[in-house]
Amino acid sequence: MNDIIIYLVSGLAIGCAFALVGSGFVVVHRVTRVVNFTQGTLAVFGAMISYSLLAQGLPHGLAEALAVLATGAIGLLFGLIALSRRGTPPLISLMITLGLSIFSAAVIILVWGQDPLSPPGLPGSVSIAGASIETQRLLVAVVAVVVFVGLWLFFDHSYAGKGLTAAASNPRAAALVGINVRRMGLVSFAIAGVLGGIAGVLIAPSNAMSFSSDLPLALSGFAAAVFGGLTSLWKTLIGGLVLGVAGQLVAGYLVGSYQTVIALVMMLVLMIARHRSLAVEEAK
Amino acid sequence: MNKWMRFALIGVLAVVAAVLPLFLPDLTFYVQMVLAAVVVTGLALFMGYAGQASLGQGAFVAAGALTVAVTTVQLQWPPLLALVCAPLVAAGFAFVVGLPLLRLRGHYLAFGTLALLLIVQTLMSTIPFLGGGLGIGGIPALGVGELVISDQLGYAYLALAALAVTLLVSRNLVRSRFGRAVRALAGSESAAESAGVDVVRTKLGIFSIAAGFAGLAGGISAFFIPYVSGESFPAVVSFTYVIMAVIGGLGTLWGGVVGAVLVSLLAQVLTTVSASPGLPTTAGPILQYAAYAAVLILALIFLPRGILPSVSSALTRRRAPR
Amino acid sequence: MLTISDLVVRYGAAVALDRVSLRVEREEMVALVGPNGAGKSSIVNAVSGVIPIASGTIALSGRAAQVPEGRQMFADMTVEDNLRLGAWAVKDRDVAPIYELLPDLARLRKRLSGTLSGGQQQMVAVGRALMANPDILLIDELSLGLAPLVVADLAAHLRTLNHEKGTTILLIEQEVGLAFELCERAYVLEAGRIVASGTSDELRSDPSLRDAYFGRDAESGSGPSAGEKR
Repeated sequence: MNDIIIYLVSGLAIGCAFALVGSGFVVVHRVTRVVNFTQGTLAVFGAMISYSLLAQGLPHGLAEALAVLATGAIGLLFGLIALSRRGTPPLISLMITLGLSIFSAAVIILVWGQDPLSPPGLPGSVSIAGASIETQRLLVAVVAVVVFVGLWLFFDHSYAGKGLTAAASNPRAAALVGINVRRMGLVSFAIAGVLGGIAGVLIAPSNAMSFSSDLPLALSGFAAAVFGGLTSLWKTLIGGLVLGVAGQLVAGYLVGSYQTVIALVMMLVLMIARHRSLAVEEAK
Repeated sequence: MNKWMRFALIGVLAVVAAVLPLFLPDLTFYVQMVLAAVVVTGLALFMGYAGQASLGQGAFVAAGALTVAVTTVQLQWPPLLALVCAPLVAAGFAFVVGLPLLRLRGHYLAFGTLALLLIVQTLMSTIPFLGGGLGIGGIPALGVGELVISDQLGYAYLALAALAVTLLVSRNLVRSRFGRAVRALAGSESAAESAGVDVVRTKLGIFSIAAGFAGLAGGISAFFIPYVSGESFPAVVSFTYVIMAVIGGLGTLWGGVVGAVLVSLLAQVLTTVSASPGLPTTAGPILQYAAYAAVLILALIFLPRGILPSVSSALTRRRAPR
Repeated sequence: MLTISDLVVRYGAAVALDRVSLRVEREEMVALVGPNGAGKSSIVNAVSGVIPIASGTIALSGRAAQVPEGRQMFADMTVEDNLRLGAWAVKDRDVAPIYELLPDLARLRKRLSGTLSGGQQQMVAVGRALMANPDILLIDELSLGLAPLVVADLAAHLRTLNHEKGTTILLIEQEVGLAFELCERAYVLEAGRIVASGTSDELRSDPSLRDAYFGRDAESGSGPSAGEKR
């Protein structure tokens, strides 16, 4: 019985990270129609930068916050490059972000080397339902919920958030009421940077990250986003959690290396099953 | 450029390509470049005409390589038969997988093909018959009975022959009725559909053919480097294929060759540079990644149609005022 | 209020507007008519600043807001959100005055704008433009795809806006009868050039113009002629 709770908890924790990465995909896609391949890279940057800041002696909380701010800025930079030419087809923008993720891998090797790194997290553990749960994992869940509530409040209940949604919904009308659609695109990239950075900062203590960690994260995040049709944030959260838990259960009860395969197969099945509704969303 | 100039240019290139291996000390780079050109020629056709991106073409290279490895080592088949089967298995695999997969479009298909590559990699690393964690080694040399290709030069010419076959097949394909259907697809799928093109079958066809080319390249490389494992086909190489296709020019016959040659040369230059004294040993992969990426990004932003179409339209423009 | 002088707009190599000049004075209702593809939308898009101009000047004293062709709703957002977004560039986001002016919108405020009828959407588009508190309203193809009764209702609202609140209006219209009925002055645009201008009465009764651009319905003041040419 203990085992299941452990798998559940670690699955939910990593699922939150998938959901956060996925929400970054959703935000950028809603506003710009671009799929941002660097979502995983941004998480890795978040982890690496917080590692360095903590190693420099900065206190917990401050180091992570600064790391997230930094990834927001990096996200903004990526947006500037991906959106630099008006009228670029979204597939080309996807490949530009692919190029950016490869370039970033080079930068990460240059600055942090090739070995996986893991910053210290919150120490200790808490007892829930007779099982001992690491405080770090609890933190992940709490932060993820707070972030998602914040995103919901922002997009559905704030004027600025509605402006972003409008830019996505009808760029022509948005331009007419004075919304700077390109600026909204850049804002969405910056938000995605923050979301990716939070994901990285949260799971790096439990899962060491290196320059190659961006690919599995991006794939799982994308799979979570596909759950939400690349538009719904709440469904992305659910998708991420399901993927995380399923992966952990598979790793625990079956063969460990099939974890990624399960996530990928689930994503494929979902995309193919929903391909018509996904295509309708694209055409809008 | 007119027909005779084109023939002359191709002739010169063919001669250079055939003679070059005689002067190079180590042919690994040459063979890999030519095989990459084979893969990318197919990929450029698929991406250019079907208008879709495949980020996991390595899955089909792996299928070809694996066919050779498994049939010669585990099943003791004659090598030549194994080589012939490689593209067929890869194309068949693409066909079966493509039936559900090609319902996806745009970025969904891109991620779908990437997922396929990773699934293939995982299967290769876990299923013992496909190599398990150790891979399959000891693949015999390619040959028939007593005649065996045992040196690099032989494989270099084999690769060139494969490239020639690939280009020939592609050329005839493009000019055939099937080719017209594929080009109609590139314009607009719904328009093609109303014109009577069977969109599903056409996409499946070009996808399988591109996979076949990839499988052929994979099969040859399995003989050339007689070891195949899940790690032989990292995602980054599949991304490089895409980079080569984009830079060379999507939807053109020679774009694959141009892209493969240019990017491979770039990689070689970087390897040489990074080996110079004073630079740390990790400079190699860093410079390569950074340069590939920078070239891709710049090419996508400034030359989204690739080098070949841009150069040829520049040449056509200059001739136009006559 | 709005003075356009020698405006040239290009789309790539094609010239959409070729040295167009027109003016709209305060509190006027001026129409711009002409056949499809004449370049009418380009004029208001240039004034709204959403397309670049090649040469010429646009002198605008005050703020302009556009009611775009085809309504252009934020389809997944409510009527109220659509309206409030109209005030993006100004400080006052209060929707109440718009509900007073267009009471039907108050009734529809929580509806998703994508689910409304064409006429209702057109009203939302007008309301959205008014939220910017504009000095001049640029209306592009008000009647497109709408039933005559609906158009008449909208036209009445516009008349009220102009007479009682003094809102200046530039009306792009293919439906010539509507244009002349609502507006006291008009310009005729064809292939990017102003080919005629004057009061509605003058233009309406000019036989050469009538045959070339207006069709017989111009005189009756209503009817669904779409600027038919011979």
